[in-house]
Amino acid sequence: MIIKNDPEQIQNYLSDASNYKGFAESVYIPETEAEIIQLLKIFNKNKIKATVTGNGTGLTGARVPEGGVVISLEKMNRVLKLNSEEKYLLVQPAVILKDLQNFVESKNLFYPPDPTERNCFIGATVATNASGARTFKYGATRDFILSLRIILPDGEIISIERGKHFASQLKALLKTESGKEISFTLPRYKMPNTKNASGYFCKENMDLIDMFIGSEGTLGIITEIKLKLIEIPKNVLSCVAFFSDEADALKFIDEARSTSLQKFKQPLFTNNPLNARALEFFDVNALNFLRQDYPNIPDNAQAAVWFEQDFDKDEDIVMNNWIELLKEHNCDEELVWLALDKNEQEKFHEFRHAISWKVNEFITLRNLKKVGTDTAVPAIQFNSFYNWLKKKVTQANLNYVIYGHFGNCHPHLNMLPRDEEEYQKAKAIYARICEEAVRLGGTISAEHGIGKLKRDYLLKMYGEGVIKEMAQLKLIFDPHKILNVGNIFDEKFLGTT
Amino acid sequence: MKIAVCVSHVPDTAAKINIGSDGISIDPSGVTYVVNPYDEFAIEEALKSKEKFGGETVAISLGGDANKETLRKALAMGIDNAVLLKDSGYRDSLSVSKALAEEIKAQGAELVFFGKQSVDFDNSVVGQLTAELLGYNCISVAVSFVLDGNKIICEREIEGGKEVVETNLPAVITAQKGLNEPRYASLKGIMAAKKKEIIEKIPAAATNYVEVLTMKKPASKQAGKIIGTDASAVPELIRLLREEAKVI
Repeated sequence: MIIKNDPEQIQNYLSDASNYKGFAESVYIPETEAEIIQLLKIFNKNKIKATVTGNGTGLTGARVPEGGVVISLEKMNRVLKLNSEEKYLLVQPAVILKDLQNFVESKNLFYPPDPTERNCFIGATVATNASGARTFKYGATRDFILSLRIILPDGEIISIERGKHFASQLKALLKTESGKEISFTLPRYKMPNTKNASGYFCKENMDLIDMFIGSEGTLGIITEIKLKLIEIPKNVLSCVAFFSDEADALKFIDEARSTSLQKFKQPLFTNNPLNARALEFFDVNALNFLRQDYPNIPDNAQAAVWFEQDFDKDEDIVMNNWIELLKEHNCDEELVWLALDKNEQEKFHEFRHAISWKVNEFITLRNLKKVGTDTAVPAIQFNSFYNWLKKKVTQANLNYVIYGHFGNCHPHLNMLPRDEEEYQKAKAIYARICEEAVRLGGTISAEHGIGKLKRDYLLKMYGEGVIKEMAQLKLIFDPHKILNVGNIFDEKFLGTT
Repeated sequence: MKIAVCVSHVPDTAAKINIGSDGISIDPSGVTYVVNPYDEFAIEEALKSKEKFGGETVAISLGGDANKETLRKALAMGIDNAVLLKDSGYRDSLSVSKALAEEIKAQGAELVFFGKQSVDFDNSVVGQLTAELLGYNCISVAVSFVLDGNKIICEREIEGGKEVVETNLPAVITAQKGLNEPRYASLKGIMAAKKKEIIEKIPAAATNYVEVLTMKKPASKQAGKIIGTDASAVPELIRLLREEAKVI
């Protein structure tokens, strides 16, 4: 185990990609599960707060400590087993997602969840139930978790396999490896019917593995993950289409979304001609941000859509269907970039990633915090929600970009305040947008999680009663309040005893 | 004006290369092949030249059937025609240049673009040799290209700066990174490319002056040594750095 105490050496562990900053005394870097258990037992006994950290790519301050110590899992980075027959991969939490995906793809297998920042640790994607462009077709990280091995704050081990441990209504019972029984009641609330990464996953008769996925490290430390893999798609159509009118781009997405979703419901028609796996949007401001690095963006482009479809055969039919849909929405096919190979597909992914990266650079240079929404709403509400939020930010005269997973009705509005005054203005708008998303039956965080930056908004989303129930759930697993305290809800909800 | 662009089909620079069982070629299994990255600049400049001055573009590649993939990409980017000079046997740079020069002559192209080198063998001579065989002027390692009537002005990248040179058509230009930003193929381009035929021709037999005797991989890095895990190891570390590694 490596222990770092030098303030210079631990500085990198005290912030994340949101530029939220914290403080801690030391950083512990265990190299084995036994060392994690040893650490947790000591911290638990002495009531020392420990914040678990991944690779620092998060956007909500979840890995940022507010005192105590940091446990970095960076050395727990081995691939333990690949089973190509049964199509699963067993890994430790600090394997980098990008390396993991490249590895399985070299074996003709595929791990679909693709958060835009792929330098994250796989364990962290489980802790936040991360999602990405392909979530539109394949779902979020949750849908690919077969089993987890978790160390609880008292050092007990829970191994939980999907399909084996269910709640009875809201009553639940789990057994640790040593035979200790943990019985508890799940919080009662209704989760939004959208892509969601806001608070614990809770519903009646649920599979209890889902409670740990997306729990942001508040219940235990994940030491092993078994991931479901699928066969690698034979072909991928990946295009970036430019539109001279934003309204056309939005209508194009609407139709591609509804056509694709209809097809998903009909498994017999798996090789459907139009069946998107990703539908990503860029507004004109986002494109202007990118022009310097991508001079080939057409001058008159007012919006762009990056779409992908995987398919087995009938390439011509697939392409012609997309061409027809593009034409219907006034997109010139000459202004549709097409990736001819895997390298170019990666470049389109970089094109998408470049915006979030550039936005983060912009705020870091100005020493401001990011004011970026992660809200999602039901499809039926989406267009009016989009127009409403755009009007809101334009009226406030703020610089902004809008991009995101429009297939999942999940826009990222990033406000770019130039000074403290604008920052305060942006925060007020942010709060208003969260309220509106909740009012429409949506969520305040669809993929980034709550961490420390969004807990006040989660409180508004569910109300104090539910947050208190969530805190009670945490206390069952972490009675001494040591693990990732401050994530999801404020420490005060854990009580003073 | 007829504009030609010569394209090479090469292993992806990220590919892990192993030597084949014959010891004089690489083992292609598991290696992804791509358009030679410098040739993408050549294709883009050919397309831009056509857009400005009109005419017709043709992409020429020498190699086996696999090279059709690279030609198909050139067509998808917007090149009008494609010719495969079919020969998968070994050719040295001069022999490659002879085959290409013959085809360029047959096409009647007076402006020819190459990448400044192909990233497989890195000889960086095929463009220049071809120009010589054709009796064309040649500007290599170009980072800018301006055609005005018959006159060509290019900036060349040289050590520590740039050189501005001028010549006349007919000419061969070899492209360096920075010449332009290669476009992506368009959806329209790929549909059109599907309908286009790649013309296959058999080039004259190779006459090689250079023979590959053997291929060797660089010596692999030696495994690290752990001397100790605490301060007691420092004297030994210093001794090794001084006596064995000789770096202090």
